[in-house]
Amino acid sequence: MKEEEVKTYDFPVLRVENLDLAYADYQVLKDVTFEVADGTCLVVMGGSGCGKSTLLKALIGLLPPRKGNVLIRSDDLWSSEFEKRAEILRRFGVLFQGGALWSSMTLLENVMLPLETHTDLPESEVGQVAEYKLSLVGLAGFEQFYPSQLSGGMKKRAGLARAMALDPDILFFDEPSAGLDPLTSRKLDDLINELKESLGITFVVVSHDLSSIYEIADDSIFLDSNTKSLLERGDPAWLAENSVHEHVRSFMNRDSSTDQI
Amino acid sequence: MSDKETPLKKQGESDGVWMTFRRDGDEGHCVIKGEWTVGGGAVRSASLEWSGILSSNLDLRAFRFSASEIESWDSSLIVFLDLCRRELADSGKGFDPAGLPAGILKLLGMCGSKRPKKIGSDFSLDAGIEFFETGLGRFRETILGLACFWAEWLSAFLLLFIGRSGMRLRDLIMACRTCGASALPIVTLISFLTGLTMAFVGSVQLEKFNAKIYIADLVSLAMVREMGALMVAIVMAGRTGAAFAAELGSMKLNEEIDSLRTFGISPMQFLVLPRTLGLLLMTPLLTLYADVVGILGGLTVGTQVMDFSVLHYYDQTQSALRGMWEVYSGLIKSLAFGLIIGLVGCYKGLGSGKDSASLGRAVTSSVVTSVTLIVVVDALFEITFSFLDLR
Ligand SMILES: Nc1ncnc2c1ncn2[C@@H]1O[C@H](COP(=O)(O)OP(=O)(O)OP(=O)(O)O)[C@@H](O)[C@H]1O
Ligand SMILES: [Mg+2]
Repeated sequence: MKEEEVKTYDFPVLRVENLDLAYADYQVLKDVTFEVADGTCLVVMGGSGCGKSTLLKALIGLLPPRKGNVLIRSDDLWSSEFEKRAEILRRFGVLFQGGALWSSMTLLENVMLPLETHTDLPESEVGQVAEYKLSLVGLAGFEQFYPSQLSGGMKKRAGLARAMALDPDILFFDEPSAGLDPLTSRKLDDLINELKESLGITFVVVSHDLSSIYEIADDSIFLDSNTKSLLERGDPAWLAENSVHEHVRSFMNRDSSTDQI
Repeated sequence: MSDKETPLKKQGESDGVWMTFRRDGDEGHCVIKGEWTVGGGAVRSASLEWSGILSSNLDLRAFRFSASEIESWDSSLIVFLDLCRRELADSGKGFDPAGLPAGILKLLGMCGSKRPKKIGSDFSLDAGIEFFETGLGRFRETILGLACFWAEWLSAFLLLFIGRSGMRLRDLIMACRTCGASALPIVTLISFLTGLTMAFVGSVQLEKFNAKIYIADLVSLAMVREMGALMVAIVMAGRTGAAFAAELGSMKLNEEIDSLRTFGISPMQFLVLPRTLGLLLMTPLLTLYADVVGILGGLTVGTQVMDFSVLHYYDQTQSALRGMWEVYSGLIKSLAFGLIIGLVGCYKGLGSGKDSASLGRAVTSSVVTSVTLIVVVDALFEITFSFLDLR
C-alpha cells in the first residue's frame, strides 16, 4: 500500500521473540512472537485482562520478561546494560492510558523535560521545539496550563505531544480512545494516520475500540486469555471475515451469540 | 414425588426448613422449598442443613435438585446452589440441576464455577502469632529495603559529583524552599514553647536547691544537645516526610513514575535526590535556628518569671555552651535525622501500590517508620557519645 515510503532496513523496527510474561507467580502470556514493520500501525487486541497492557509494559522496559527477547532493530532491550537500555528507550515514545503527565509541571515543561534530558540544545530552542510539538496536537495556547486544568482528551493529546518530543521511531499507545467521546477519539485516529504517513513513525496501539481499530490498523495481533498466547495475527478487516477462530470473528464483529461468556 | 406422605423415612432422609431430601437408589433428591431471601439469611442456615444431608449420605453417587415447592427466591438461592455444586464437584459426586426452573438454571450457568481463594481472617491464637510474625517480617523487610534504597541513593549521590546526574538544580532549590523556609513558622512556635516549658519544669526543681540561675544551663544544654534536633526531626517527619511519600505515591498512582522511566530518566536522580538533599541541607539549619529560639524561650521565663536580668541569663548560657561540641553533636544528629526522613518518605512513596488505600498506608507508615527510626538512632548516638567520653 505504502510501498514507496517504506525505507528498507535489515531488521524490523520491533521484533518480539518467544516472550513469556508473568507477575510473581501468575503467568500472563506464553511464547509470544511477532514483529512490526517500519511505518505501520500494529494494533494489539484481545478481551479484558488478557495481558495487553502487560505486553506493552515489557516492550517499553517496565516489566522484565520471564524469558524471550524484545529486539529494537537489532538491539536486545532486556539484555542491554542500563546505559544502553536508556539509549534504546530514547527511541520510544509512550502514551499511557491516562496520559501520565507530570502533574507538578506545566504542559510546556512536560514536553521540554525529555528534550532537556537527552539533548544539548539551548533552553530557548528546547522551548521552541516543545511549543511546536504541542501545536501539532492542537494544544497551542495551553503551554502554561497544568495537567490538572485539562480535560481527559486534552491530557491524552498532551501525552502524545510529550511522547513525540524526541522524534521517536516507535510510539506505544495504551488504549488511546478509552474514555474519549467518539469525535475526539476520531480526531486522535486521524492524527495517528497523519503522523504515520508524514513522519513514518511506527505505532503499536492497544485498543478495544473496533471503529478506531479498522481506521488505524495495518496489522493486528489477537491475544487470548484462555491459552495465554498470541491467537492470531493479520489485518483486522481480514480477520473479521476469515479468522479460523470463532472467538476472534465474534470479537471483531461484536457478535456475542456464538461466544460463550 | 409423593414420598412426603410416607411416614417411614429411610436412613439419612430429612425434612428441613429449606429442603426435603429423599433417597432414590444411588441418587439423592433435594426439593428446595420455602422463602429464599438474601436478607433472611437463607444461605447460612440452608448450607448448615445441606452439610448435614451431605455428611449422612456419603454413599450416594449424585444429587438431583428441583424446586417445585419454592415460594420465592432471589440471589441467595443461586449462591446456595453454586455452593452445593462446588462441594459436590470437590467430593467427586454428580450435580444434576435439571429439575430447576429455566431462570435459575440460566443464572447458575452465569456464575462462574471458579472458586475464589479463601482468605483466613478468623482470629485465633495461631492467627495472632502469625500476625506478630508477619509484622516482624514486614519490619525486617522495610529495614532491608531501606538499606538497599540507601545504597542506590549513595550511588546516585556520587554520580552528582562526576556531573552525570539527572538532578536539576531548580528542583533542589524548590525542595530547600518547601522543606526549609516554609517550615520556619512551625519550628519557631514548637521550639520556643519547648524552651519555655523546660524552663518552667526545671525552675520548680532548681528552686529547691536554691540554684535557680542554672535554669539557663539546663535549657541551653537540653536544647542544643537533644530537643532542638529531635523537635525539628519530628516536625519534618510529619510535615515533609509525609509530603514526600504522598507526592511520590500519587505520582506512582498516575503512572508518572513509569513514564519517567520510559524516557530513560531515573526517578532516583530526578525525584529522590533533590528532595533528600534539600532536607539534608535544611534540617541542620533549622536545628540551629530551633536551638536559638528554644534558648530565647528559656530566657523569656528567666527574665519575666524568675526575675533575672537579660545580661545575667545570657552570661550563664554562654558559659554553659563554652565547649561548642554540644552544639555540633546536635547538628550531627540532625543530619542523620534529615537523611532518615528523606529516605523513608521517598522509599515509602515509591513503594506504594497502585490504589489509593495503599497511598494512605504509605504516608502513615512513612511517618511511623521515620519517627521510630529517629528515636532509635538518637538513642544510639547518645550511647556512642557516652562510651566515647564525649559527654
Ligand atoms: N501488577 C499486577 N500484579 C499482578 N497481576 C497483575 C498485575 N497487573 C495485571 N495483572 C494481571 O495480569 C492479567 C493481564 O492484565 P492486563 O492489565 O495486561 O490486561 P489487559 O489485557 O490490559 O486488560 P484491559 O483490556 O482490561 O486493560 C490480568 O489477569 C491481571 O489480573
Ligand atoms: Mg489494559
